Amino acid sequence: MTIKSINGCIGCGECVKSCPCDVIRMDRGKAVITYPADCQICHLCRMYCPVDAIEMSPEKSIPVIVPWG
Amino acid sequence: MKLNAQPFVFALTATTFIGLPLLLYVQGEAPVRSWLKEGLSVLTILAFTLMLMQYFLARSNETLLRLFKGPSVQKVHKYIAYSAISILALHPFLIVLPRYFEAGIKPWDAFWIMVTNVNSLGVVLGLIAWAAMISLGITAYARTNLMRRFKNRYRGWRAFHAFLAVSFTVVAIWHAIELGRHTDLAMSSFFLVIATLGVGMLAGLYRPERTRKSPPAPLDTTFPQGAK
Repeated sequence: MTIKSINGCIGCGECVKSCPCDVIRMDRGKAVITYPADCQICHLCRMYCPVDAIEMSPEKSIPVIVPWG
Repeated sequence: MKLNAQPFVFALTATTFIGLPLLLYVQGEAPVRSWLKEGLSVLTILAFTLMLMQYFLARSNETLLRLFKGPSVQKVHKYIAYSAISILALHPFLIVLPRYFEAGIKPWDAFWIMVTNVNSLGVVLGLIAWAAMISLGITAYARTNLMRRFKNRYRGWRAFHAFLAVSFTVVAIWHAIELGRHTDLAMSSFFLVIATLGVGMLAGLYRPERTRKSPPAPLDTTFPQGAK
């Protein structure tokens, strides 16, 4: 699991919308890491969180490789 | 030997309102982020503790007024409060500032999503606290004009200022505990203890026996018997 924690979530749901693997779900107005094993380390949830609430585990993160980069 | 208590008060104030929150911040378990984000967090925490410090730099702190002149205390209260309010007024914008330097959501989009997300209790509390703080600053800055315009006495303005300050403190602490990244148990307890002491001290100023003045002795307008 690369999503380490969600701290200070305001419940806007942007991370849920941006996650391609449905790792995060909303629970009682807050984002919760529901399927951690499915995380593909794309960092989209972190990049689209407006309040920067999502922390990734740096030791498990890999550099984002894009085909055109 | 006469002991000069003023340096002791300076040291105690700096330790309590700058040193202690910094220590709690360092000891906290929040994940470390970039220098910019951590710097902004520290700035915000210190600005908030300086706002809480204003309860102790006021008329309600009788011990301080025995050591320092009233106008000096008022001047320090004013300048620190205006500085802290200026920083905290930018707090919603400072949250999204790092987005200028990162990929992903744009800063203004992040800001708009954040402030319009009224389903979150923490966001609503933050908006109320921000509005109360801005009102506190504006009504303090324009107090002379306000008192003149509304034919209000200084005591009335002071009570209004105290009401706004307490409202801001309660809502802002609630907001910080609800959403704050660094408000773990120790930091939350620190805020609550300092705020309780400050509000308690302020409440002491409005104790009934203080505000209730003894009625003036009725004037004896009757002439003594036999006098013309």
